[in-house]
Amino acid sequence: MSAPRLPQPRATTPMTIAAAARLLASRALSPVELTRACLDRIEALNGELHAFVHLTAERALAEARAAEAAIMAGEARGPLHGIPIGLKDIVDTRGVPTTCGSRLLADNIPDADAACAEKLAAAGTVLLGKTTTHEFADGGPSFDLPWPPARNPWNPEHFTAGSSSGTGAAVAAGLILGGIGTDTGGSIRGPAALCGIAGLKPTYGLVSRAGVAPAAFTLDHIGPMAWTAEDCALMLQALAGHDPRDPASAARPVPDYVSGLGGGIKGLRIGVIHHFHEVDHPVDEATRRAIASATLTLRDLGAEIREVAVSPLQDWSACGSLISITERAAAYEEWARTRLGAFSERVQARLMLGALVSGVDYVQALRRRRELRAELQQAMQELDLVLTAAAPGVAPKIDAVPKWDLFERPNFTMPFNVSGYPAISLCAGFSPDGLPVAVQLAGKPFAEPVLLRAADAFERATPFRDRRPELASANEER
Amino acid sequence: MPAEIADATLDFLLARAGLDLTPAQKAELKTVYAGIAAMAGRVRKPRGRMAEPALVYGFAEEDLA
Repeated sequence: MSAPRLPQPRATTPMTIAAAARLLASRALSPVELTRACLDRIEALNGELHAFVHLTAERALAEARAAEAAIMAGEARGPLHGIPIGLKDIVDTRGVPTTCGSRLLADNIPDADAACAEKLAAAGTVLLGKTTTHEFADGGPSFDLPWPPARNPWNPEHFTAGSSSGTGAAVAAGLILGGIGTDTGGSIRGPAALCGIAGLKPTYGLVSRAGVAPAAFTLDHIGPMAWTAEDCALMLQALAGHDPRDPASAARPVPDYVSGLGGGIKGLRIGVIHHFHEVDHPVDEATRRAIASATLTLRDLGAEIREVAVSPLQDWSACGSLISITERAAAYEEWARTRLGAFSERVQARLMLGALVSGVDYVQALRRRRELRAELQQAMQELDLVLTAAAPGVAPKIDAVPKWDLFERPNFTMPFNVSGYPAISLCAGFSPDGLPVAVQLAGKPFAEPVLLRAADAFERATPFRDRRPELASANEER
Repeated sequence: MPAEIADATLDFLLARAGLDLTPAQKAELKTVYAGIAAMAGRVRKPRGRMAEPALVYGFAEEDLA
């Protein structure tokens, strides 16, 4: 007797995790058909977008069939069971190539899963493959590696930002419903901003870094990237929790990130750090309008909006950059000394910088970090959240990304790597030429429930989640 | 920290770091040295000798067991 099968899908992709989970739970959609639909989209679009570096199609279909059988047997594990995802290719995956986008690891096949891969698998997700990354999550788009950089689904001539570039492109194009990114100075929130999706950098220590290639140990964060904040909450629920394999892992109980969504934000106190985007690094007109409009939307939803000021963005960027340069140089010192030429030109350049930063510079940066964290703590004492720009503007052309951008412009996302506070990038509109613009909300440490509730409220009050890239617009269901 | 770096100083720092760079890479590194110097200047504030760095740590329960 053949196993019972679910009905054929009413909708395929793109859709949100939340929408798919409802259909899967009601048995109106089969994980097998959902997975096949994603694989079909990958086959049709990955040649242009380069979002995946390695596909696990057979494994995905096997996992989808297992999910279908479990759901039919009344043994669904939760809202992620049967959901197709991708993992950034610096996340170790047992038996699956993990190149870190580098010739140095071109043949690397880990013998264990990273903690985040393990947790998502335990939640029943279906792994479609490994997504494109900047080499070792650094350096920018490289054209001298075996794997071309990912392209932006809103316009493939444009950059995705990075380094979680493939996950950003894949989610925006509906190739996957969610994925993992990593964020050392903005590598989740940057691609989320430029690809028009939601990307959450959780509080430092909330999601285990075990099994993920380091960029800078004290700034590295692992987090979800998805179409909506609600989907990020669903993923975070599976990802959060103490892991003794990560020395920075926080031993705290995991709250419910999902049940508070929809509860409204009346009375929340939100500070807008205007000087970041108006004085320290003026943003483009579309972003300026998006921040102003988002402020009004949050006020209309019942939040109390205040002005808040902290040290200039340049101070946060300098502090984070010196720490990042030094910790990266330490992590990759052996290869830099013996095989520097095997890295891409851009990563060679980043590693060279390590020679210019002294030990005293590094410790002064760590002393500045303590001061900056204390300053943010003080500034947020009477606040629940802060609102800032997520990026200085829309996605540039992919061949116009400066090699030394860390010296050319301060980074809007770095303050929350330096402080370790949670932050999310949200789509907040579109430029006249159809590229996404974004805002960033940040919360207090481990206050992701509040942050996600506000982000979800903003998305539901605005029309931006109803618009997909043209190449991905067929059969949409929110 | 000066905004420029002499060739001999750069060679010393690269040798100490164990990096073997091409002349073109060295020339490029010299052009961005001012950026590093500016960052190093920004993290130095009047703070006195007692100011602690962010990574000072305490002992966890498992250390004490």
